[in-house]
Amino acid sequence: MSSPTSSAEVYQGPPHVHHMDPVTAYGAAKLGMWLFLATEILLFAGLFVAFAIYRWMYLGEFHDASLNLNWKLGTFNTIVLLISSYFAAVAVDAAQHADNKKVSRCLMITIACGAIFLVVKYIEYSAKYQHGLFPQFGGPNGIEFERYKSYFGLYYCMTGLHGLHVILGMGLLFWALRKAQKNRFSAAYYTPVEIGALYWHLVDLIWIYLFPLLYLVG
Amino acid sequence: MFRFLPEQASEHAAEMDWIHHWVTDISVFFTVAIVGAMLYFAVKYRKRGGVDHETPRIEGSHFLELVWTIVPTIICIFVAWEGVRIFKDIRKVPADALTLYATGSQWKWDFEYDTGKKTTNNFVLPVNKPVKIVITSQDVLHSFFLPSMRVKVDAVKGLYNYVTFKPIKTGDYRLFCTEYCGKDHSAMLGTLSIVSENEYTRWVNDKSEKQTSPIERGKLLYVEKACKSCHTLDGTRGLGPSWLKLYGKTGKFVDGASYTADENYLRESILKPNVHLVEGYSPAMPSFEGQLSESDLAGLLAYIKSIDGTGPKTAPAATTAQQPAVDLTKLSPAERGKLIYEKGKGAGAPCLACHSLDGSKLVGPTYKGLYGKEGKWADGQTYTATDDYIKESILNPAAHVAEGFAPAMPPYQGILNDDDIKDVIEFIKTVK
Amino acid sequence: MSTHTAAHGSHEGQDINYLNHQKGLWSWLTSVDHKRIGILYLLSITLFFILGGIAALFMRTELAFAGPTLKFLTPQMYNVLFTLHGAVMIFIFVVPGIPATMGNFLLPLMIGAKDVAFPRLNLFSYYIYLAGALLALFAVFWGVIEARSLEGALDTGWTFYAPYSIDSGTSVTLMAGAAFVLGFSSILTGLNFVVTIHKLRAPGMTWGRLPVFVWATYATAVIQTLATPVIGITLALLMMERIFGVGIFNADMGGDPVLFQHFFWFYSHPVVYIMVLPAFGVVAEIIPVFSRKPIFGYRAVCYATLAIAFIGFTVWAHHMLVAGISDTSAIFFSIITFAVAIPTAIKVFNWVSTMYRGSISFDTPMLYAMAFVFLFMIAGTTGIYLATLAIDVFYHDTYFVVAHFHYTIQGGAVIGLIAALHFWFPKMSGKMYNETVAKFAFALVFIGFNLTFLPQFGLGMMGMPRRYYDYPIEFETLHTWSTVGAFLNGFGYTFALVNLAYSALFGKVKASSNPYNSLSLEWQTKSPPIHENFEEIPVITEWTYGYGKPLPNTHH
Repeated sequence: MSSPTSSAEVYQGPPHVHHMDPVTAYGAAKLGMWLFLATEILLFAGLFVAFAIYRWMYLGEFHDASLNLNWKLGTFNTIVLLISSYFAAVAVDAAQHADNKKVSRCLMITIACGAIFLVVKYIEYSAKYQHGLFPQFGGPNGIEFERYKSYFGLYYCMTGLHGLHVILGMGLLFWALRKAQKNRFSAAYYTPVEIGALYWHLVDLIWIYLFPLLYLVG
Repeated sequence: MFRFLPEQASEHAAEMDWIHHWVTDISVFFTVAIVGAMLYFAVKYRKRGGVDHETPRIEGSHFLELVWTIVPTIICIFVAWEGVRIFKDIRKVPADALTLYATGSQWKWDFEYDTGKKTTNNFVLPVNKPVKIVITSQDVLHSFFLPSMRVKVDAVKGLYNYVTFKPIKTGDYRLFCTEYCGKDHSAMLGTLSIVSENEYTRWVNDKSEKQTSPIERGKLLYVEKACKSCHTLDGTRGLGPSWLKLYGKTGKFVDGASYTADENYLRESILKPNVHLVEGYSPAMPSFEGQLSESDLAGLLAYIKSIDGTGPKTAPAATTAQQPAVDLTKLSPAERGKLIYEKGKGAGAPCLACHSLDGSKLVGPTYKGLYGKEGKWADGQTYTATDDYIKESILNPAAHVAEGFAPAMPPYQGILNDDDIKDVIEFIKTVK
Repeated sequence: MSTHTAAHGSHEGQDINYLNHQKGLWSWLTSVDHKRIGILYLLSITLFFILGGIAALFMRTELAFAGPTLKFLTPQMYNVLFTLHGAVMIFIFVVPGIPATMGNFLLPLMIGAKDVAFPRLNLFSYYIYLAGALLALFAVFWGVIEARSLEGALDTGWTFYAPYSIDSGTSVTLMAGAAFVLGFSSILTGLNFVVTIHKLRAPGMTWGRLPVFVWATYATAVIQTLATPVIGITLALLMMERIFGVGIFNADMGGDPVLFQHFFWFYSHPVVYIMVLPAFGVVAEIIPVFSRKPIFGYRAVCYATLAIAFIGFTVWAHHMLVAGISDTSAIFFSIITFAVAIPTAIKVFNWVSTMYRGSISFDTPMLYAMAFVFLFMIAGTTGIYLATLAIDVFYHDTYFVVAHFHYTIQGGAVIGLIAALHFWFPKMSGKMYNETVAKFAFALVFIGFNLTFLPQFGLGMMGMPRRYYDYPIEFETLHTWSTVGAFLNGFGYTFALVNLAYSALFGKVKASSNPYNSLSLEWQTKSPPIHENFEEIPVITEWTYGYGKPLPNTHH
């Protein structure tokens, strides 16, 4: 039902891209997304470097502070993101085969996983806030402990920035989902799914680095 | 062109000006050559009569590319090398250098000499004697710049940087702050007066009021802050390394990296002892962050430097009144516990180094209200501060660490016996 | 001569071009045409150039004489002025600079494309830029209103060094936020250009046939994309520090102020190459046209461009040689800084060699290009002084550095921009500017610029520190001369810009499609070009620089 009946009806892409043929447009979009991913990695790299330096300087206290993180919730979130990445990849394949309904289903699951991830993060954040584990408060139960400020400052910055990217990724995938619902995708045009999935894989990858660094190694 | 450079008032100024001269020669030569060639071509090959003449389609020359890659490379290597060599030279501190401390703050420079002499903005040094000025900041970034001496280094809070030079001419020389520091950055001017040795000696010993010299201050802190409990002055090994000939000593950390005990490392050991651990010692030293002012730190460093084997090897007596001999059996358990708290026993550090009695949080939990208190460990389990738990904390503190504290407490196994521990617990009970 | 397929407009006789094919303000504000976006950027950056320049003139007036010169100007207001001068000029003028204006306008034309890879993203980038610029203005106003005086605007220096930037009561957080937003614009533009050059070259336009300006734009775009995120995170950490007191850069809390400098300069050194590499590209386009000769050593010039971009990422701590880094680090960064001098020297030698046995005309663009060579020789050689470790100990944070970076940025990037504006003016506007006024303005700019900054080398040699509101009397003479130069410089720019603006709006002399007989692809279109640039995408069969009579026994 979602396969085009004749080549004349195959959706080649949005009309505004008038100055490029579809093949070039696809290549350009992909290259553009890869470059954008590179900038995102550099953005997070700065935070990772700052974290590494401070952890090296204050190993004891950072380890201590990391014991406040709930590794069970962290593991759960990791699994959720891995599942979501799987479905994003399946969506790309489905799009290439013009199975727009499957694309919609997979993207909805991916987005839902993203939402679950965010809900869990909200639970974690609010629990910490209640315990006073927030940079302004310093340490647990309101006790000022300087090193906790650095640790949690970086923790919130890194996971917060990551959370923001999860939201952005969900937005991007939602955009692709809307197009799938209009049966746009086929072997001739599946760019939004591909670049959306690429972005989502990066979001997942960053979490794969964050999780052990913050929760496990500590 | 060189009349712009200030007079060469330090020994290494001539060297620096020499490389400066070379770079100028090279720069002027190449600029004149290139711009000259450009103007020559412009004139010689200019369009005449409003019509372009025929030009050859010369695309390049491998030979020329090679030449003008290799020649600048050789020149750069030469200049870079000399720059590094001279830099290393000017950074060497002679063994007999006079040391003083300079602290930048908004918006002045405070100087302190070994004799205790303090001065602000205008300071004096003797001619022909090498000097090392250790520089730090009390607030924002500043930079210590003596143009005529050709020295400069930034003043950074939390760091000790230094400049070293040997003045060779008497006179008055400008001191500038050369890192933007706020409103009166350009008003932070000072003067360095270079005078004869005699005049300097007179000046530096002339103190309007009794000011403790850094070394005296350090000596007092050695006892007051209980460094004495772990560090000896005569070379014997305690819980921590002896201070005898400690300054400048080299050694290894437990991770294999080597260190030199310079000002920055000693400062780090005092404020953040857990960052680096010297091979052969346990991580027992508490942090003194927040307990020592910059002035205290400078004093301790000066005192440590002075323990070079030439002075008395015994520790100074406590400045409080002489302790009368105490018959311990006449004391109550709590009183005995209090003595252990204050003075420690054997090689153990006294508890007061890390535990307060007034509720303030030091490296370890306060004794106030400690007995019977409920709390959480770092792994989330709850505890009650019973006799058993307190005993465990004393003998084997690493077993459980209270939430919010670093695992810095040394074990007292072998230092305090069961009776001692009972006494200490009795004392703790009294602190409400 | 040229064997490019000429792209004649079939609109000949109707004179429809990108400027008039759609009219009205709204069509300009919503256009995704790279040429119109380039013009939008041009108007915006010019406005901020003027603001930054006015700040500079106030500073120079105050500095003309020892002691307070302007009664209303307090030391703190001076600090605000130099901060805003730096921040506006760098973040809002020179960094977008040539890439956002000339890069946007020329890139598709030079490679034979109808637009950039992502035209809507291009327009979005412009609006992000505008948002950032307006946020910066807001930061200034907010600071002034909060403090109820002009002293309340940002006063940390454009470098935002901790700990001062953390303590300062002025509008640091807002301004850091503005710079953050501006960074996004830079990243997205860079990304757009990289994809454009990779994917949209016309058939036959191989990498080896690309104009040097395109290579320069490419290298610049790579730096924009990769380096800018780092300043983003640095500013974010600074804002976090100010809002939450996290302690990363605060020595009292175990943080490290010097770490801020490392983060900051990791971007801010590559950014100077973002500023100057496009200018190098402009010069490499102008000199061949007005010498009627190919650019000498095309391959070497292109490789040198890439080398500068790459090495530029490795030298950041040469801004910190006396900041309290270890002596070993200082030695390393000093040595590696010399590495970046060599490709730069190679380029200069190649430009001058291009003129050898040429047929030299002295139109205004060529005058600016030749001035560039002179100014950049001074810029580059004074960089050698600063790279030399023993010398930098003396010169760091003195006026020597101020003079050096004005020679590189103004004498380099800004002169490059003005040269480009004059050179491509006929293409962009379809008209010619007044050559006499332009040459007069050039003379004022050149004399004024050198008179402003050569004395500052002298001040540096005397040991005069930077960012000083006032100074001891022995520095006065050189300062007075410098101020005279600054005003001449300002007049020069005013004449140049007014000339261009007037000619664009009211000029009567129409330009032909290729008044300078360039072989480059952008000149094979109408002046101004039609909306789609080319009637048909051309097929390229020749190198861009086929000037002059082929030598015997050469192949291409």
